[in-house]
Amino acid sequence: MVPVMSRPAPISPAGYRSHTGRRARVAARTRLDFWLDAAILAGYTVAYSYGFTGVVIHEWLGIALGIALLLHLTLHWDWVVRTTRRLVSPRGHDKLIWLVNIALLVAMTLCVASGIAISRVALPELGIATLQSPFWFRLHVLTAEVTVGLVPIHVALRWRWIAGVGRRLLAWRPVRWPR
Amino acid sequence: MKFLRQFAAATAVVAAVVLAGLAWNRLAPTLPGEGPGGHAFIARGRAIKVLPPGAQPPPGGRPAPPGGRPPPPGMRGDNGSGIPGLLLSDLLKPVNLAVLRDTALLEAAVITAVVILDAGYRRLRRARRATTIRREPGISDSR
Repeated sequence: MVPVMSRPAPISPAGYRSHTGRRARVAARTRLDFWLDAAILAGYTVAYSYGFTGVVIHEWLGIALGIALLLHLTLHWDWVVRTTRRLVSPRGHDKLIWLVNIALLVAMTLCVASGIAISRVALPELGIATLQSPFWFRLHVLTAEVTVGLVPIHVALRWRWIAGVGRRLLAWRPVRWPR
Repeated sequence: MKFLRQFAAATAVVAAVVLAGLAWNRLAPTLPGEGPGGHAFIARGRAIKVLPPGAQPPPGGRPAPPGGRPPPPGMRGDNGSGIPGLLLSDLLKPVNLAVLRDTALLEAAVITAVVILDAGYRRLRRARRATTIRREPGISDSR
């Protein structure tokens, strides 16, 4: 049974609260969320820059992003279920985030799927035949353009969490030993 | 166990989206806003990529064939049939960093705009709530 919380978790958007007994687990989970999300953002930025990466890196990075997207969705599945259940009367901000996330899920999934369908290097290298139809080319370009617009919105709508966790993770603090 | 259950659910959602894409291709293979635009478009069934001035074509990218549509200045054809090798030097060509910089700038601009809008909206809401509380002292903010 997926636990349902009435309010978003103060530490991680994935649904873990900062109970004292769970401090270590929360910190680890928050760190995982933060660094995985940062890697996905950086990966997508590089993968979108096709002129920089070239076809080989573009394709393998795209496949890796597909796997990372699945992992990201799994790690935040509690949020998806919780917000979808509350969709009848969510706050305006939650509703906006939910809509952006759904649009991004569809766009990014279709982008990766169409990229796999038109793969010229990665899949043929694995011995898998690809579709190579104009529809999938066009869909790949269209969904990539939509995704490049939605990814920064998706990130920016969580800027308070990112700023808070980033400040804590990246700040250097001297270790204080207990007396 | 919980992770596996959630992974299965996430996979099912992704599979549903992929199936919807396949059905779209089968039933109505047209897309909104087709034609030239953005960083790439399809010309005669081939993907044409647009590169910023000064950038070199990506590894594997070749100019359009003689019979094909000539690319406008600043554009390079991406219809090579050869499979290039994976070299780290391909990734780190400084001349093509302009492409990556453009993407990063675009994302940074959108993030900045949304953060400013969000912060402004929150400030407005806070001010409105404070005004309401000041007008009606009996009402306290329970949150």
